[in-house]
Amino acid sequence: MVSFHPDSKFLTDFAAGNLPLSEAVCVAAHLEFCSKCRSHVQQLSDVAAQMMARLEPVVADEDGFDTLMQRIEAGESTPQPARSAAQRASAASGATTMPLVVQKLAKGGLQNMSWVQLGRSLRIAPVNVGCKDRQTAIYDIKAGGRMPEHEHRGEEITVLLKGSFSDAEGKYVRGDFVVRHAGERHQPTATLDTDCICLVSLAEPVKPTSFWYRLLEPFVQYRLSGFSN
Amino acid sequence: MEKDEEMDSAAPQFSRSAVPDPWAENVRLVAQTRDRAAFQLLYKHFTPLIRAFLLKSMGSGANRAEAEEITQEVLIKVWNKAASFNPGKASVNTWIFTIARNTRIDFIRRNDRNNREIDIEDIWHEPDSPEPLVDLQQRRAEQVIKQAMATLPDEQVQVLYKAFMEGKSHNEVAEELGLPLGTVKSRIRLALSKMQILIDR
Ligand SMILES: [Zn+2]
Repeated sequence: MVSFHPDSKFLTDFAAGNLPLSEAVCVAAHLEFCSKCRSHVQQLSDVAAQMMARLEPVVADEDGFDTLMQRIEAGESTPQPARSAAQRASAASGATTMPLVVQKLAKGGLQNMSWVQLGRSLRIAPVNVGCKDRQTAIYDIKAGGRMPEHEHRGEEITVLLKGSFSDAEGKYVRGDFVVRHAGERHQPTATLDTDCICLVSLAEPVKPTSFWYRLLEPFVQYRLSGFSN
Repeated sequence: MEKDEEMDSAAPQFSRSAVPDPWAENVRLVAQTRDRAAFQLLYKHFTPLIRAFLLKSMGSGANRAEAEEITQEVLIKVWNKAASFNPGKASVNTWIFTIARNTRIDFIRRNDRNNREIDIEDIWHEPDSPEPLVDLQQRRAEQVIKQAMATLPDEQVQVLYKAFMEGKSHNEVAEELGLPLGTVKSRIRLALSKMQILIDR
């Protein structure tokens, strides 16, 4: 049961189309698990649509309809069929399926991604969503694995895709959207029985000075002590 | 017992027709018979609104010619995607807004398309998922939103307008109005709650 959701700021900025891509990918992944937030986004789109309906119309000098029809008939693009039922099935329907947005990022499968092993129980596959201010990545934490304790220098969003993890604040399951703010410290631990896979968006940290930190860039900003395994 | 069930199953039909959408028929005709006249009516009504939205939301980076090109792109998508419009899920109004929104995001992001591993439409879907019960509440909610919007105080309308029509994030709205982020957030939340959009903290 999903119990951690994006707040009104994330959902509003998402529905209005103003959320940077790295964060938007996280919200989109959560939406595939959460009908409540899907319905909120839909309502927020209704708000936007109502506002658009109330704008002062801007009429062009020329009608342009015939030109448009010529473009359409010239076959600039072909009609698109409705999405298939399979495409529309939400990720929540299967315990192992990844959200569509993650499948896209993973180019079909997690095994196709470029993984970087960090310590014994953590590997990270960075993805490029065309977002300069944030790092986006898939994290894979071995069952029972413990992440190094780390402090966030920028906001971190985690969406749980598989398995579960816990930290001092609570336990998180599939679909949960967890936000950690700059300055917060935590040490997540994956549950014992299964690997934990997450989608993570990390705000660009203040550039670290230590050589070791720089070595780990651009993936994580963990304290060095965390890697003493 | 049987009677109750009967009433439940009859309810959707009744409620749906109680929320009429004057444009749904036009989209259906475009989808099924490629009806040009029906499309022209949609074009006449929505083009000036889409254009107005794009001129406001595309920011200073876009000139009038670009806004016009994106407007035309939106209309081409309306024609091409008509078959995927789901009248139970959203009004034509909302459906067209989402197409305009996505086309705008795509325009803004066009420059970095080459090094991006994902399409805009993989993130921002159009409303098309079949969830009958949710759909119903959705269309009712739309009526509530419409009515409540007219009663909002100016300072709430202002922040909603900047977010939804001018394409500004919470942070940008806060900066522009010289308000703390928390104030912008709570004004938007207040406005949303008046429209019965109750997002938990
Ligand atoms: Zn949710």
